Amino acid sequence: MKMEKIVRQTFNTLLPVLCAFFVGGIIIVCIGENPLTVYGLMLKNTLFEWKGLIKTLHFASPLILTGLAIGITFKANIFNMGVEGQMLGGAFTACVLGFTLQGLPPVVHIGICLLAGVVCGMLLAVIPALLKAYLHVNEMVVTLMLNYAIIEILRVLSQTIYRDPASGYVSTPPVLSSAMMNRLDGTSLTAFFPVTMVVFILMYLVFNKSRLGYEIKSIGRNPEFAEASGMNVAKKIVVMMLISGALSGLAGSGFMLSEKFKYTLDFSGTPGLGWDGMLISLLGGHSPIGILVAAIFYSALKTGSDTIGIFTNVPKEIVGVIQGLLILFLSIRFIDEHTTLFSRLKAKFPSRGKKEATSA
Amino acid sequence: MNFERMLYDMLSYSAPIILCVLGGNFAHRANVLNIALEGMLLMGAFTSVLFVMLTKNIFLGILGSIIISLLLGLVFSFMSVTKKGNPIIAGLAINLIASSVSAFILKAMSLPNLNVNSIVDVAALKIHIPIIQSVPFLGKVLSGHPFLTYLSFFGIFIMWVIMYRTKFGVYVRVVGENEEAAVSVGIRTNRIKYAAILIGAVCCALAGANMALEKMALFTNNMSAGIGFIAIAAIFCGKGQPVRTSLYAMLFGLMQALAINLNISAGPASGLLNTLPYFMIIMILAVVSAMQLRNNHVRGFKAE
Repeated sequence: MKMEKIVRQTFNTLLPVLCAFFVGGIIIVCIGENPLTVYGLMLKNTLFEWKGLIKTLHFASPLILTGLAIGITFKANIFNMGVEGQMLGGAFTACVLGFTLQGLPPVVHIGICLLAGVVCGMLLAVIPALLKAYLHVNEMVVTLMLNYAIIEILRVLSQTIYRDPASGYVSTPPVLSSAMMNRLDGTSLTAFFPVTMVVFILMYLVFNKSRLGYEIKSIGRNPEFAEASGMNVAKKIVVMMLISGALSGLAGSGFMLSEKFKYTLDFSGTPGLGWDGMLISLLGGHSPIGILVAAIFYSALKTGSDTIGIFTNVPKEIVGVIQGLLILFLSIRFIDEHTTLFSRLKAKFPSRGKKEATSA
Repeated sequence: MNFERMLYDMLSYSAPIILCVLGGNFAHRANVLNIALEGMLLMGAFTSVLFVMLTKNIFLGILGSIIISLLLGLVFSFMSVTKKGNPIIAGLAINLIASSVSAFILKAMSLPNLNVNSIVDVAALKIHIPIIQSVPFLGKVLSGHPFLTYLSFFGIFIMWVIMYRTKFGVYVRVVGENEEAAVSVGIRTNRIKYAAILIGAVCCALAGANMALEKMALFTNNMSAGIGFIAIAAIFCGKGQPVRTSLYAMLFGLMQALAINLNISAGPASGLLNTLPYFMIIMILAVVSAMQLRNNHVRGFKAE
C-alpha cells in the first residue's frame, strides 16, 4: 500500500513536468527551432557538468528558501502570495545596511544584514497574518496587494534617496566589501549555501518532527476540526506566516549579499524568485525533501535558460511559459485514489508473498 | 486639483474593474474562486492590441481577444471543475501563463511594446453624448468615454437582471449555496460552473480591450497591474452582489484616479502615491471583514 502511494506520488510529479515540456516544445516548434536542442542546452551544462552543477546549487539557495516559505503556508491551506514582496523587502534592507554601515568586520556585517532582511520579511508578513487570523480577511488578496505596493515603494526609494549617482541606470550603490559573501575556494558557491542547508535541516525537523509541523498538517486538512481539538488556529496562522516571512527575507538578503550586491529594478528577474518558490513547493509536494530536489531542478532550468538566447532564436522568457504550464498541470492530480491501474496490475501479477499464501 | 478631471478619471478607471467584477460575480456565486481574472484581463488586453495590429480592424481585435480569453477560461474550468484541481493554483497558473506568454511573444517579435496608434485613433473612439455634453459640470464628467466604458456601467444592470431575474441566475446561486441540493433536483452543476467562469472570461476580455485598446492603443508588459485582484477584493467586499460590488469597484477606481491626479502636484515622491490604491484596498477589506465578523457569533476559527 505504501509502495503504491510512492509510485503514485512520483507519477503525479513526473507527468506534469513531461506535459509542460511537451506543450512548451510545441511553442518552440512554432518559432522554428528544435525543442530537443533547446531543452538539451538548458539542462546539459547545468546538471551534468561539475562546474555547472555547482553554479546551479549556488542559484538554488534562494529558491530552496522561497520554496520552503511557500510550502509551510500552503501545507496549511494558507496562501501567502507575498513571498515575492517579502523577499524584495529583505533584499533591499540588507542592501541599504550593506552600504551604510561602515568599519565592521565581515562576519558581523553580514550577520547584521541577513538578520535585518529576516526581520523585514517578518514585518511584511505579519500584516496579512494578523488580518487573516483575527479579522478573517482573505490573506491572498492582501499579500498580492502588498506585493504591488512594496515593489512600487522600492522603485521610488531606489530612484530617489538611495540612487547611486555614478550608475547609468536605476540602481542603489553596491554593498561594501565587508558585507559581501565571498566565493569559497574558487567555486561559485558562497557561504549562503551552507546557511541555506542549515535552515533547510531546521525546517525539515519543523515539518516532520515538531508539534508545529503536525498542527500545520491538521490545519491544512480541516481547520474547524483543528480548532475543535484544542489548537489555537489563529495563533498558529500568525506563527506560520512569521516563519514564511523570515524565510523569504533570508532568501532575499542572502541572494543580495552573495550574488547581486546592489538593488536594481530587475533584482528578482521575471517571473521572480517568489513565484519560482511557488512552483518549487508545488512540484515538491510541499515536503522539504521534495522542495530541495525541485529547487535544484528548477535552478538548473533557469540558469540554463540564460544561454539559450545566445545559441538559438528562442527568447529566455520561454522558462516563464514552461513554469506557468507546469503550475497549471500541477494543480490537478493525474493519478488519484480512483485510478484503478495499480490494483488491476496487481491482480494480474500477484506478489510472491500472496501467491505463497494462496498456495499454502 | 481639477475636480471634473478627477471624476472623469474615476469613471474611466472604474470601467475595467467593474467589467472584471461583473464577470467574477458569477463564478463567486457559483462557489468557484476565480483567481484567473487577472490573467484573462491581461490576455484580453494583449490579444486585443495584437489582433488589431494583425488585422487592422478594431472589431476583429476585440472578437479575437474574447475568443482567446474564452480558451483560457475553458482551460481554467477544465482544470478546476472537471478535474477538480485546486482552483487557486490553476488560477495563478493562468495568470503566470498570460504574463509570460505576452512577454514571450513581444520578445519573439523583438518589440518593447505593442503600439497601434497608427491604426486606432484614441480620440475618435470617445463618444460624446449629444445633450449631456453641453451640460456644464456633468458634460465633462459623463461624456467623452469610449464605448466599452459605457457598456460596463450598463452591464451592471444587465448582470443584475441575469442574476436575479433569469432561471440561469437562480441556478448559479443554487449551485453556489448548496451543490448537493442542486444535483438532487437535476441541475447539471458542472455546466453551470463552466458558464459562470466563461461569462467572467468574456467580461475580462472586454475589460482588457477597454484598458489597452480603447484608451491607449498600446500594450506594455504586465499593464494590468493587479486590476484583476482589485476586482476580487471588490467581490469579497460586496459578497458577489452586482450593484454592491460595482460600488466597491468605483471606490477603487476613485483611489486610482486620486493617485494619478495627486501625482501631478506631488513632485519627486509622486511614485509613492501609486501605492495608495493598494493600501486603501487592504484597509477597506479589513473594515468590511471586521463588520461582517461582528454579526458572526460562532466561536473560534471557521473555514471560508
